Amino acid sequence: MKKYSYIGERVPRIDAIEKVTGAAQYAADLRLPGMLHVKLLKSPHAHARIVRIDTSEAEKLPGVRAILTGKEVPYKFGIYMQDKEVLAQEKVHHVGEPVVAVAADTEEIAERAVELIKVEYGELPPIFDVREAWKEGAPLVHERLHEYKHAPFIFPKPHTNIANHFKLRKGDVERGFKEADVILENEFYQPQVQNVQMETHTSIGQWLPNGQINIWTSAQSPFAVRHLLSAGLGVPIHKINVVVPYVGGGFGGKAGLHWEPLVVLLSKKVGGRPVKLVMTREEQFNTTAVRQGFYARIKTGVKRDGKIVAGEFLYVWDAGAYADYGVNIGRAAGYSCTGPYEIPNVKCDSLTIYTNHPYGTAYRGFGHAEFHFAVERQMDLVARAIGMDPVEFRLKNAALPGRITATGEKLREDAGRVDECINAVAEAIGWGKKGPKQVGGKLRGIGIAALWKAPAMPSFTSSSAILKLNEDGSVTLSISSTEIGQGTPTALAQMVAEELQMPIEKVKVVTKQETDFGPYSWQTVASRGLFMEGNATLNAARKLKEQVKGMAAQLLGVPEEELVVADEKVFVPGRPDKGLPLAKLATAGIFPDGRGIGGPVLGYGYYTAEGLTNLDPETGQGLPALMWTFGAQGAEVEVDPETGDVKVIKVVSAFDIGKAINPSLLEGQIYGGIVQGIGSALMEEFIFNGRGVLLNNNLTDYKICRAQDIPDELVFIPIENPQRNAPHGVRGIGEHPRISIEPAIANAIYDAIGVDLFEIPMTREKVWRALQKGRKNAAT
Amino acid sequence: MPLPEFSYFRPKTIEGLVSLLAGHGADAKILAGGTDLFVLMRDRLVRPKCVIDIKGIEELRELSWDKGRGLMIGAAVTLNELIGSEIVEQRFGALWKAASVLADPTIRNRATLVGNICNASPAADTAPALLVLDGGVEVVGARGERTIPIRDFFVGVKRTTLERGEFVRGVRIPNPPEGAKSDYLKWGRTRGEDLAVVGVAALAADSGKKFVRVALSSVAPTPLLISEVEDIFRGEGSIEERIEKAASVVVQRISPISDVRASREYRLHMAGVLTRRVLRQLLGVS
Repeated sequence: MKKYSYIGERVPRIDAIEKVTGAAQYAADLRLPGMLHVKLLKSPHAHARIVRIDTSEAEKLPGVRAILTGKEVPYKFGIYMQDKEVLAQEKVHHVGEPVVAVAADTEEIAERAVELIKVEYGELPPIFDVREAWKEGAPLVHERLHEYKHAPFIFPKPHTNIANHFKLRKGDVERGFKEADVILENEFYQPQVQNVQMETHTSIGQWLPNGQINIWTSAQSPFAVRHLLSAGLGVPIHKINVVVPYVGGGFGGKAGLHWEPLVVLLSKKVGGRPVKLVMTREEQFNTTAVRQGFYARIKTGVKRDGKIVAGEFLYVWDAGAYADYGVNIGRAAGYSCTGPYEIPNVKCDSLTIYTNHPYGTAYRGFGHAEFHFAVERQMDLVARAIGMDPVEFRLKNAALPGRITATGEKLREDAGRVDECINAVAEAIGWGKKGPKQVGGKLRGIGIAALWKAPAMPSFTSSSAILKLNEDGSVTLSISSTEIGQGTPTALAQMVAEELQMPIEKVKVVTKQETDFGPYSWQTVASRGLFMEGNATLNAARKLKEQVKGMAAQLLGVPEEELVVADEKVFVPGRPDKGLPLAKLATAGIFPDGRGIGGPVLGYGYYTAEGLTNLDPETGQGLPALMWTFGAQGAEVEVDPETGDVKVIKVVSAFDIGKAINPSLLEGQIYGGIVQGIGSALMEEFIFNGRGVLLNNNLTDYKICRAQDIPDELVFIPIENPQRNAPHGVRGIGEHPRISIEPAIANAIYDAIGVDLFEIPMTREKVWRALQKGRKNAAT
Repeated sequence: MPLPEFSYFRPKTIEGLVSLLAGHGADAKILAGGTDLFVLMRDRLVRPKCVIDIKGIEELRELSWDKGRGLMIGAAVTLNELIGSEIVEQRFGALWKAASVLADPTIRNRATLVGNICNASPAADTAPALLVLDGGVEVVGARGERTIPIRDFFVGVKRTTLERGEFVRGVRIPNPPEGAKSDYLKWGRTRGEDLAVVGVAALAADSGKKFVRVALSSVAPTPLLISEVEDIFRGEGSIEERIEKAASVVVQRISPISDVRASREYRLHMAGVLTRRVLRQLLGVS
C-alpha cells in the first residue's frame, strides 16, 4: 500500500489562492522602468493599397517616441506558413489590420498621435465569400504566395487564394458510391468567431543595443514565440528571452506568435526602452486572430444495413487575411475528416483559403468543432434516410480498436473506445425512452454526437522537464507548458508527489515560464500537455531517483538496486540503519568524515512524440496521431416554437480519457468546454457589412454565454481505458468537451421541432425563420 | 483605452449644479452612474470638456413614496436601490421588472433610472415602464422648474426635450389605479443579459371598465406608448379578442429597423408575441 496516493485525487489547484486573491500576475500587470505604450492605426478597408502615410503631425506631439510603418519592417512571420506581416507593408488585407504603430510615454499620447496620422489608400476589390475565393479569377489576397516559406507538409497553390490543399484518398470512393444503396449530400456552414479570452493579447518587448531581446507576453508557448521570432527577424535565438507569466485564457488564440515582433521592433527604434501593447476588446475582435469560418460539403454512401461505404468531404476554411496557423487546421481536419468512424473509401479535400476577413488561427478544437458539426449532423441525416436509429448507426460504423482510419492507421488495442462513450451518453440522456415531448407550449428533444481528436502537431514535437531536489528535501519542477487555466501544473505536481512518494506540499511547480531557464517544450496546445509534459516529468522524477540512489549507495555501502525512494528518504526497506533523508543529498552527498561526493540533484526528463509520420502528399496516408481521444456528447433542449428560443436543459458528455489524474480539474475542463460550445452553437458569430467591417466587435453585440445560458444539468461520465504509452494512461481532454456540442444541440432541435439546421449559430431568430420556412412549406 | 481629458466637478447643491451648467453649457455632460457616458467617451462618440458628477448632491438621492403624491426617484438613485424597494416591487411592477432586467447586477450598482431615460436610447428598458405608469420628468434649469410628461420626453434616437442648461432632478410617478398590475417583458438575443431586441410594458387596471396601457422599447426611434390600446380595451369584445386586437395594433404602429441585433421582421413578430404574453398574464387569461 502506498503512503502517498495522488493520482485520481481532487487536489486543489496550486494556483488557486494566488488567483482568487488577485496576487497572480499577468502580462498586463507588469510595469517596467521607462516603459512606453503602443497604440495602433488600423485599416478601415478590407483590401487596399497603401499609397501614402503622413506621420508629420504625430511626430511633433510631445511624448511620442517612435512611429513605425510596415515599410520599415519588411518581415514575414508564421508557424506553418510565413505570411504574416506585423504592420501592413504594401497593402492592407482586412479591416482592422495595423498600418502604423506609435510608441509614446502614455497611452493617451499614443492614442492622440494615432489620430494625427493620415493614410491614403487605393481601394482594391475585396473577396469575402470563401466559396468564391478559391475559384479562378478571384481577387488575390497574397499575390506573392509562391515566395512564402512554409512547413514541408503544407501545399499552397501559387497565384490563387489556396494557402493549403490537403488531400486524402483512401480506397476507391467512386466504387464505394456505386456499392451504396443510398447517397446523401449536404452542405454546412459556420461563420468566423473569436476565442474571447478574458485577457486580451498583451506583449511587452525590449530590444537592447547589445542585441539582447526580452519579451514578456500573454502567449501559450514561450519557446514557439522565441523560435518564430528568431526565424522571422533573422536574429540568433539565444539572444531572445521570452517570459510568460500567468495567461488569462488561451483557447488556441495565443498559440504561435502574435504581437511580440511589433513591440520588439518598436523598442529597437527607441533604443531599447521596453514597449507595451495591450489589445482593446475591439482589437481582440478586429485585429488579433480569430477562429476560421467553415464551409463543408459532405457526400455519404451507405448500405441499407447501415454500413457506410463511401465518404466524400470538401472542407473549405475561411482563413481570412493570413493563414500562418490556419493551413495546419485545414490539414488536421482533413486527416480526421470522417469523424470517429471507419469508412473504407474516402476522398477528402480540405482547403485553407485566404479572404479579406480578419485572420484565422487556432481555436480550442483546432477545426474539429467545425467539421464535427457537419459530420455529426450528416450522421443523423443519413441514419434517417435509411430509417436507422442514429445511435445504432454510429455504433455500427464506429472506429474501434483494430479498424482502419482514413489515413490507413490501424487503431491500437489501447486506442480508446468511442462505442463505450456513445453508449454511456445514450443511456444518460434517456435515448429511446419516451419523455414528455411538450411542456407548456414548448417542445423537447434530445440529440447525440460523437467525436475524436488527436493532437495536431508536427510528427516529432517534444517536451522536457527539470526536477530539482532542494536543501530541505522539497522538489521544484520546471516545465514550459504554460498555465492558461487548464490546470496541467497541478496534475504534474500530483504525478511528481506520487512518483517520489512524498507529500504534495513539498512539490513546487514553476508556473512562470522563461525560455532562458526553462526546459524546452514545443507548445501548450493540442491537448498534448498532460500527455507529453507528463511523460517528461515522470522521466525526470525517475532520473532524480537514480541520482539519489547512486549517491546513497556509496554513502550507505549498499547496492543501488536495494534502495527505495519514499517518505522524503532513500533507504533499504526493513533496515532502519540504511537510510538517508533526501534533504541530506540535495547539494552533495557527505561522508561522515566530511568528504563530499556527487552534486546538486537534478532530474532531466524528456518525451518526443512517438510513432508519427508525415502523410503522403497525394493520399494523406500515414500516422498523424500521437493518441486519439474519443468521446460522445448528448443534449436535451426545449424549443419555444413561437420565438425560436432554444433552452439547453441538459448536456451529457463521455470521453475515454484513459485516466482521470484530478477529477476536479477534469470537470472544470469539461464544463467550460460545454459552455463555450453552447455559445458557438446558439449565439456567437462575426457579422460583417458588405465592406468587410465587423459590426459586432464588442461584447455588447457579440454574445457569449452568461450564467443564464448554462444548462441546468451537466453530466460527465469518465471512461478509463488506459493508453499504454501515456503517463498513468491519460489522454488529452482540453479541447474535446467543446467539439460536439453544436451537432448534439442541432440534432436535438430536429428531434424537438422537426427542423434541420445546417448553419450555426442557431440563434433565436434563425430558428424562428427555419420554423417559418417549414410552416410555409407545409402550407404549400 | 484611455478616456480623453476632461475637467471634473462634483457640486454639493442643486444651485451649484445649475450654475455649473449655466457656465459650461454645451461643453458639459452630467455624470450619474457613468455606465453610458464613459462608454460613449471611450469610443470618442462624445467629448465633453467638463463632466459634472451629481452623486454629491444629497437631495438627488431621494427615493420616496407617499399615498398622495406617489413615487419620487431622484437622479442619483441607482437601479439596484430601486429594485431593493418593496413599494416599487409591489405597486410599480413594470418599473421594478424593467430595472431588474436592465444590464447586469454590477452595472445596476451604478446605473440610474434617470440616466437611462436621459440617454434616450430606443432600447431603454425603463422607458416603456414609465410610459405605462405615466411618469413625470422633473426638470430644473436656470429659469426655474418644470415637469415634462414622460410621453413628451423622447423626441428621437438619443434626443429628448431637455433644453440646454436643464437637468433632470428626478422622476415622479403617480400611484396607479387601485388594483392595477403592470409588468415588462424583455426579449434579447440570449437568455443571459442583453439589450432589448423588443421590450413590452403593460399596465392593466379594472375600475369599472378595463383600463390597459402598452408601451414598447427597441421598435421605433423612441420608446413608444401605443395609445390605441387604451381605446381597444374601453371598447367591445371578449378579452381574448381585445388582446389579439391590441397585438395587431401594436405591430401596425411600430417601425422597427433591421440591425446587427435583429431583423425588422423578427422584431415585428416578437412585439406581437410579447404584447399577447404580457396582456394574457396581467388579465389572467391562460
